[in-house]
Amino acid sequence: MFKRIRKHLGREKQENNSGTVPMNADDPLPQSIDKVKEKLEEFFSDCSDYIQREIVCGEDNDVRILVAHIDGFVDKKVLNQDIIRPILDYFSCSDRPYRAKYVYQLVKSCIISNNEIEEIESMRQAVYRIVSGDAILFVNGSKRALAVGVKSPHGRQVAEPDTEVSIRGSREGFVENLSTNMILIRKRIKNPNLKFEIIQLGTQTNTDICLCYIKGIANDEIVNEVRRRIMKIKTDAILDTGYIEQYITDNRLTLFPLVGNSEKCDKLVSKLLEGRVAILCDGTPYVLTLPYLLIEALQTSDDYYDHAFFATFMRLLRLFALFISTLLPALYVALVSFHHIVIPFKLIITLAASRQGIPFSPFVEALLMIMAFEFLREAGVRMPKTVGQALSIVGAIVLGEASVAAGIASNLMVIIVAITAICSFITPPLIRVTMLLRFVFLIIANFFGFLGISLIAVVVIIHLCKLRSFGIPYMTPFSPLTISDLKDTVIMAPIWAMITRPRLMLQGDTQNTMGTKRQEVNKISED
Amino acid sequence: MKISKLAFVFLLSLLMVGCWDNTDLVDINIVTGLGIDKDEDGKIVVTVQIVEPAAVHLTSSSQAGSGGSSQTKPVYVMSYKGETIYDALISMKAIVDKRLFLSTNQILILGERFCKDGIDEALDFLHRNYQSEYRADVLVARGTKPEEILKIQPDMDAIPAMYIKGTAENTVIRAKVEQKKLIELFKEIKNEAKQITIGQITKVDDKTVKTEGIAVFRDGKLVGWLDQYQTRGYLFVTDKVDNTVISIQIPNGKIALEIKQSNAKREVKFKNGKPERLSIDIRLEGNIGEYIGKEILSSPDDIYKIEKMLSQAVKKEVTMALEKTQKDYSSDIFGFGELVHKYHPQYWKKAAKQWNDIFSQLPTDVKVDAKIRRSGLIKSPMKKDD
Repeated sequence: MFKRIRKHLGREKQENNSGTVPMNADDPLPQSIDKVKEKLEEFFSDCSDYIQREIVCGEDNDVRILVAHIDGFVDKKVLNQDIIRPILDYFSCSDRPYRAKYVYQLVKSCIISNNEIEEIESMRQAVYRIVSGDAILFVNGSKRALAVGVKSPHGRQVAEPDTEVSIRGSREGFVENLSTNMILIRKRIKNPNLKFEIIQLGTQTNTDICLCYIKGIANDEIVNEVRRRIMKIKTDAILDTGYIEQYITDNRLTLFPLVGNSEKCDKLVSKLLEGRVAILCDGTPYVLTLPYLLIEALQTSDDYYDHAFFATFMRLLRLFALFISTLLPALYVALVSFHHIVIPFKLIITLAASRQGIPFSPFVEALLMIMAFEFLREAGVRMPKTVGQALSIVGAIVLGEASVAAGIASNLMVIIVAITAICSFITPPLIRVTMLLRFVFLIIANFFGFLGISLIAVVVIIHLCKLRSFGIPYMTPFSPLTISDLKDTVIMAPIWAMITRPRLMLQGDTQNTMGTKRQEVNKISED
Repeated sequence: MKISKLAFVFLLSLLMVGCWDNTDLVDINIVTGLGIDKDEDGKIVVTVQIVEPAAVHLTSSSQAGSGGSSQTKPVYVMSYKGETIYDALISMKAIVDKRLFLSTNQILILGERFCKDGIDEALDFLHRNYQSEYRADVLVARGTKPEEILKIQPDMDAIPAMYIKGTAENTVIRAKVEQKKLIELFKEIKNEAKQITIGQITKVDDKTVKTEGIAVFRDGKLVGWLDQYQTRGYLFVTDKVDNTVISIQIPNGKIALEIKQSNAKREVKFKNGKPERLSIDIRLEGNIGEYIGKEILSSPDDIYKIEKMLSQAVKKEVTMALEKTQKDYSSDIFGFGELVHKYHPQYWKKAAKQWNDIFSQLPTDVKVDAKIRRSGLIKSPMKKDD
């Protein structure tokens, strides 16, 4: 069914593409500046932000240089200081001889004071460089043009991400600007082995995608596979890493996230050091990490900065919360509707008393309350922040007090939904998964009680064991069991005891050397 | 595609068959007490005590708050007659609105007349029924009907069954009634070598009951009763005393001794392949809990004296229990038969059928060795010399 839809969509896209691309691809640059001008004007017709300026100077006005750029995209100060002023200064002084033939070489190597210079040979490249924010210099009589990077640093300041808050550790989060993000990573890994590969995606948007990994730690096979899958993406627009995530994921029919994402620099760096591959995308602060394992949902960067005892306790707590947030309403409904026998006597009286006079069955009651909560949550996310306060007050009163007072929901149900809701926020990557699973478990619990719950639980576990993220089993290191990797799971070893990197990410020959190297370093430092 | 369609239909059918036993908690009657008795015509009378959860909450909260009298009663007691227990329970729906839920049953009260005819019938039903609560306490109503016991309205607990269960449970600190769970009865009824005993319950007034003493059975039929002191003697022999207080008269005063630990060893002595004597060896340790007298308890000799008196007192209770069961009831509730079965299986094969009669003829040796460990925080009595 999905194949058919995809085919259909694919056909439409192709039709669209054929009509709109105006570029006559790999035309070489014309030598005459007038022709260049003509062509550029054709390309950028009706683009009010396109600016071109012709500099005419020299003794006989024989030096003609065309500077083309997009307004606002380039830093005008830098443009003037690095390009226009030096050119004008140089050629207006009569004591500096030049030959018209070598003006291009001269400009390239002696005059322009900017470091970021690149030679361009085709019209297509020139146009692309202009729209990506470079200034292009066309020298009359030359077959080549110069692209000078004078992009102005637009965009947000580096700030603490709202979605991932940590108590300890770096507060720097990624921003929308790709080069800023790359710097943020490079700042933490000062090593030439840290590689950034830029790939352009999107026939319309020409978005820069950056593949980031540490050579020697990341598994080459995984890097190649990621690269291959990214290359295979055929789309006209990439607006967020979420687009890429959907294209490259292993299993498109699963609820569970097979690609991780993060906004925090220190978290991403630690993932890179574990041998993972990151995908950055210009225009979004969310960075993808691959492969993604289920256990990562329980890990936070704070775990590693604090004592392992506390981290272990927090991990256990998170695991417990994960189970509660998926199963608690279902267990309650199963208990109250089917398995009265297992409820202790005093509890059954409390339960029955709280259920007295409620017109709905426990299932309907649970469904109503959970739906109410989900409405509230979604509204809270979408609403302007200023209205949020009012919403939370209304929600607390409606959910907590009024529904009980009106006899629509029991006290206990309110408590259960509240606990479920709190627990679901403890493991953020799985919020949406647990939300859907909660409904599945709830429905099955109403029909089959504990039997149904355990049945679905088995199905979910089988599904989890079957999932793979870039060839790595999702449940690693539990299934398949990798004993040395259990050190960083539910029970966490202290940081000095984590000598080896996760086994499955590594290439065969590096895993031991990395470990021993680190041990040696430790020894040296002890001495 | 075909398979997925089939699977979808299969799933739909699953939804249809589901929830056949889905019952809401508010659609069941929570039974806390069950009474079984027989009337004059030999018909079974089943009594249930049903809790009204909302009323329980109301009464407990109103007691805590304003103390105003509650309108609704926390429990209802219903009785119904039938040919069998199950018949009576099911037919009871003529007067009861919702399904009776027996898993919450806390106490099972058996009537005297019913017990005299044998309790096998009740045990059969309760063992067969998957809902019955095995941890329910079983008691025999003496001199009253189970219905009357279940109808009491105690002030101490909103639910009478919980009140009664509490009194039976606290036998661990007084050792004057035997607490018997339903599941223990299931096991013991099949045991030829040990006769059943069940704690007895009597009604004091409309608000109080008393659980003291035990009912003695022989072959599953009620044959008689033991009073509280005989019961304690029985518990000493069967090694079930955890804590209790024994009062002893001394010249010019009284002593209350707190028993902290007691170990009993039973033995059947054989001679020429036949049982000759029953020997019971009890060792116990106690503290002085209360002392009213003149002498100062300073020397070990004083303590020895008290130890001896304590031994005598315990021995008296044990002998009383033994005599009563041997002479009057001829029922081996102490489980001497088990020892014979264990150590003289050949003899047991022959004598199993007449064991209770053989038991009642055997002479007994009772040895009690009492030790006093502590005299409490003070040495001399509070009473001043005259």
